[in-house]
Amino acid sequence: MTSYAPTLIELQHAIRQSLQGGLDGDAPAFVINDGLDPGARLNIYRNTSVGVLVKALQLAFPAVQHVVGAEFFEGAARLFVADAPPRSAWLDAYGADFPQFLAQLAQAASLPYLPDLARLEWTVNLVLHAADTESLPIQHLATLHEAELEVLRFEPHPAAQLLRCEFPADAIWLAVLERDEAAMAAINLASGPVWLLVQRAGSDIHAVRLSEPEWRVAEALFSGRPLGAALAAASCAEPHTLLATHLARDCYASCGPANPTMACITRGTNP
Amino acid sequence: MTVSVVMPQDDHGPIPAKAGIGLRFRHHQPVTEAHPDVAWFEVHAENYMGGGTVPRYLDMIRRDYPISLHGVGLSLGSADGLDTAHLERLRHLVDRVEPGLISEHLSWSATAGTYLADLLPLPMTEEALTIVCRHVDQVQAHLKRRILIENPSTYLLFRHSTIPEWEFMAHIAHRTGCGILCDINNIYVSACNHGWDAQTYLAALPPAAIGEIHLAGHSIRELGEGRTLRIDDHGSRVAPQVWALYREALARFGPIPTLIEWDTNVPALEILMQEAAVAEAILEEHLHDVVCANAD
Repeated sequence: MTSYAPTLIELQHAIRQSLQGGLDGDAPAFVINDGLDPGARLNIYRNTSVGVLVKALQLAFPAVQHVVGAEFFEGAARLFVADAPPRSAWLDAYGADFPQFLAQLAQAASLPYLPDLARLEWTVNLVLHAADTESLPIQHLATLHEAELEVLRFEPHPAAQLLRCEFPADAIWLAVLERDEAAMAAINLASGPVWLLVQRAGSDIHAVRLSEPEWRVAEALFSGRPLGAALAAASCAEPHTLLATHLARDCYASCGPANPTMACITRGTNP
Repeated sequence: MTVSVVMPQDDHGPIPAKAGIGLRFRHHQPVTEAHPDVAWFEVHAENYMGGGTVPRYLDMIRRDYPISLHGVGLSLGSADGLDTAHLERLRHLVDRVEPGLISEHLSWSATAGTYLADLLPLPMTEEALTIVCRHVDQVQAHLKRRILIENPSTYLLFRHSTIPEWEFMAHIAHRTGCGILCDINNIYVSACNHGWDAQTYLAALPPAAIGEIHLAGHSIRELGEGRTLRIDDHGSRVAPQVWALYREALARFGPIPTLIEWDTNVPALEILMQEAAVAEAILEEHLHDVVCANAD
């Protein structure tokens, strides 16, 4: 029993500690004890809070959950929720740090590809919820001179992301989600790294494997380097063929000259 | 105490005084393909704040049905202020959807930059009332729209509360000019859990402020020694006692847009349409009563 009346901020901090830490702390003393113990009353809210966040992670990482099993996943998700709760109420954006958390989780060390699979699923989640914008219409680029092309910078489409994985995470992801045992058995974990472009096409999300040179050009363009420098950095034998292939993938929203004071040459329009 | 300016309302495809349904993801396809006979839909704002397929379904559905936006993340009761980025996400969604109604909760969910993912109870104090009213003013100014505030269901009471919850609700409406989303199931659940009188609760709410009614199912948890706690889990049909309280609410407030909510083990649309038909029949009885009373 206490006669102390907390301010609202004091009360909210105490309840946050109770809900997150699992230790009741000061919060029960502020709650009327009537038939049901204050700790048990707070626990109803704690269960809802943790349940909602675990569910959000289950929705974002379905393949990871299938690989480790529902029970292990829930245990890991509960640890993560306590360790790194969301900063905002937009839960579609919650879970960015879960792959890194899994990478450091000793109990998951027997599945070395798990962090890559989680990173791919998070990338898929980002692409799934990314803003809607038209893709850059690349036919305009055909009218530009070599010198103009050299200095072009590209803005990636919001629903396009690059990812490099040590393990064939794309093949694992597809095989797990399609419950394809034969495809799963055929995966060679030692086949080397994969360079992926994850993008939205209509209502589907695709993880497209790029060649290493194309991925390097894409990475340079995604980070804002001008086209000439991006192609030079990739040092590939047929830069123009590679570029034509890459630009046809519809993964940019706009492009413009390196000098930002000049007008944007071309841009997709909002739907 | 001052009454705020009257906020514009009913200028975005108003929600009719009929029974609507809480739209969840599993209903997107059935609704866009079969165009079921439903008067209006309500969606959780936070589920549609990104791009891609999910909001595109809502773009399609809003062409054929009035839409109400129900937020769960603004945390109007947070002592350390609103998340302005989240408020801005809501404004973008309001611009895109042009909803007939916008609602939020009398609760808090965030403190010290952490979102706790539940609608947590507030102490019923003058301090909390001042903070909630400040935030309702801020939201209405940002959205340039009147919003509705929903009464909560609660499982605990704070020792230092000084204002009955029903008076707290009326004060918010009076001070900010906002409307009230009267959740009949929440009143029933909280009345059972805390030994309140549900009629007293209804009688304290200003009828002119009631903009929407929510109906949902709840579950009963046995505490031993014959005691129970009612849990507002939105996972079943509306309880008979809640239907009875709904009739009393309509008698006090007149015909009000009424929503069937179901969030746990969400059933097929047909089940929700059956529940909506029950609400619709009660609404029509009441409309009939109003017409007869006017004729007398």
